[in-house]
Amino acid sequence: MSMSSEQTRNPALETQPGSVPVPAGEEQPLLVVDNLYKHFEIRGGPLGVARIGAVRAVDGVSFTVRSGETLGLVGESGCGKTTLGKVILRLLPPTSGRVIVHGKTIFDLPTAAERKAGRKPIALSGQAMKAVRRDLQVVFQDPYASLNPRMSVGEIVGEGPLVHGMSNKEQREELVRELLAKVGLNQSHIHRYPHEFSGGQRQRIGIARALALNPEFVVLDEPVSALDVSIQSQVLNLLDDLQQELGLTYLFIAHNLAVVEHISDRVGVMYLGALAELAPVEEIYAHPGHPYTVALLSAIPDPDPRHRKKRIILKGDIPSPANPPSGCRFHTRCWLRERLGNPERCVAETPELRDLAPGHAVACHFAEDVSAENIAMAARSSSI
Amino acid sequence: MVRQDDERTLLQIRDLQTHFATADGLVKAVDGVSFSIRNGATLGVVGESGCGKSVTALSVMRLIERPGRIVGGTITFGGKNLIDIPDDEMREIRGNQISMIFQEPMTSLNPVYTCGNQIAEAVSIHGGMSGGEARKRAIEMLSQVGIPDPARRAEEYPHQLSGGMRQRVMIAMALSTNPELLIADEPTTALDVTIQAQILELMKALRERNRMSIMLITHDLGVIAEMADDVVVMYAGKVVEQSDVNTVYEHPHHPYTRGLLASIPRLGEKRNRLEVIKGVVPNPLNLPAGCLFQRRCPSAMPICNVAPPFQEVAPGHLSRCWLTPAGDPPSVGEAPSEQVALDAAAALSAE
Repeated sequence: MSMSSEQTRNPALETQPGSVPVPAGEEQPLLVVDNLYKHFEIRGGPLGVARIGAVRAVDGVSFTVRSGETLGLVGESGCGKTTLGKVILRLLPPTSGRVIVHGKTIFDLPTAAERKAGRKPIALSGQAMKAVRRDLQVVFQDPYASLNPRMSVGEIVGEGPLVHGMSNKEQREELVRELLAKVGLNQSHIHRYPHEFSGGQRQRIGIARALALNPEFVVLDEPVSALDVSIQSQVLNLLDDLQQELGLTYLFIAHNLAVVEHISDRVGVMYLGALAELAPVEEIYAHPGHPYTVALLSAIPDPDPRHRKKRIILKGDIPSPANPPSGCRFHTRCWLRERLGNPERCVAETPELRDLAPGHAVACHFAEDVSAENIAMAARSSSI
Repeated sequence: MVRQDDERTLLQIRDLQTHFATADGLVKAVDGVSFSIRNGATLGVVGESGCGKSVTALSVMRLIERPGRIVGGTITFGGKNLIDIPDDEMREIRGNQISMIFQEPMTSLNPVYTCGNQIAEAVSIHGGMSGGEARKRAIEMLSQVGIPDPARRAEEYPHQLSGGMRQRVMIAMALSTNPELLIADEPTTALDVTIQAQILELMKALRERNRMSIMLITHDLGVIAEMADDVVVMYAGKVVEQSDVNTVYEHPHHPYTRGLLASIPRLGEKRNRLEVIKGVVPNPLNLPAGCLFQRRCPSAMPICNVAPPFQEVAPGHLSRCWLTPAGDPPSVGEAPSEQVALDAAAALSAE
């Protein structure tokens, strides 16, 4: 089934007030994330209401996503990548920071200090946000938990269009059938319920739901992690096809670096709520600049028994994001710091993202010392 | 190489059948599985969810619960058929000579006992040690699996530990009795990649030190390539391919194995499209006749309506497929014999 995106976009939806204008011949990035923070308060004390700390899930993240590209976001559990995706979509309220989509400010929340200095917070109203949401969609990791078991496929995929004013039932069903065909599902399954589908098929339903409003930007939060190997590749290829056919822009969140490498144009690596590195995909895999990226790449078992290699084994566990280490967050586990004789600077001074090469940003004071020789030495001296 | 009658064989499974009588019908979760594990070697069992790899492991431990039942085959370990021996004898072997670790360390540890207590319990039940000795052994085991400050950690409860630390505790408990065989069912699947690297490195070191065999069950072809000496590939309750690790990765014979290896994204090999295995795993309640993979197979032929035999395609390399050892379709007049071709025609017309 081949359809242009114009045909899928329903005229009834097009006339909705508050739709995001697309500037002609646009140069500006589709998405701007600027100094975004999301802290979850920890309450305690005798009455359980006093603020005793905060989990710094997202702790000052900035990046842009260009129209039509895929930005991959990788990191281990607890690094804040899922929270980041949710805050961008305003599925979670941000603590502070700014998100701009197509030049339209979704929110701009000053920090406490800036607020004192008189800066006013800006946030789209619920009504305006609803209009923007048509362009910002999300596919979640768990295809079992993210579909309502009491709704049929037709109701699940058609809910978005219904909410956004497509009240004609036949029209909606027609749209749902087109979407099902587009994601490779049988059109006659429209009246079935989620439990009648396999994991891969459910994920296709989730993708069809995300595409129902013809969005420009889709956050894919671990869309293939719960799937079997042979199904994973089917879904990855589908996402690829849809991107080309519909000109979609993806934020692809995952922990699997091989999957992210496959699908992304640029890759951001997160550690404890902050970006450690951001670079074009070929660059980050060929010349990783952050010691954490090096360790992540080194840790992946190679599916080739001839390549059994010495790895860099990181010591210990990821520290708690409620109490991240001072200076560079990675310094407690950093193999490079150890190689360099444990410089004080890593503990005392937080490294900012800086350009190592054009378009290749790294948050490490000593990124220039990440060399093949140092990596080999660190792997050799790694022990459990 | 997996040989059937090798003297150095530690565990031998022959024609194992484990079936589940569900309300919807009989599920043959394990349907005629045979393989053996060599002394000191690591056997990787790879397959997708529902292929029967975990049920095979639980059958070896005799931990199959109703409505499941081992209905046939033998599991030979130390000269005994584990399927026939009485429960108390099995209890002696389980935990003592064969230990098992699971994917989810939080659900397999008891939340109301300290980690030290749980290991000490295992040691005193299986090793007959006194309380004090068992405690000392527990702390020694925690230190062996690389847990810093083991005496303090022994006093902590599972919820106070991270996922990686819990898996280390599980391994410490499993190895506290010096088993000859460790069955590890997706031991690193729930862990982050840097923690997975730690645990795999630990398992390698302990394997050397204790000279034990490992049956490693995983869906991750990277982990198998890293750890295993021999590999068994399972699909829909059957072993479809079996050989040493290099052969399986370099010269896979079965189209399913080939498809699996081709469909994984690999680091440093950015391709525009991934190879895919079309379709989905067949419904275990309604398996196709003949080869179970034929509906997804790019090389499917009429003869695939007859179940292919599990046969050698090279010394020590077995595959359940009609393709010739070179991977070509069998030509007319050659093996498979005329009788088989007739059977195939009969099976076709029956359908």
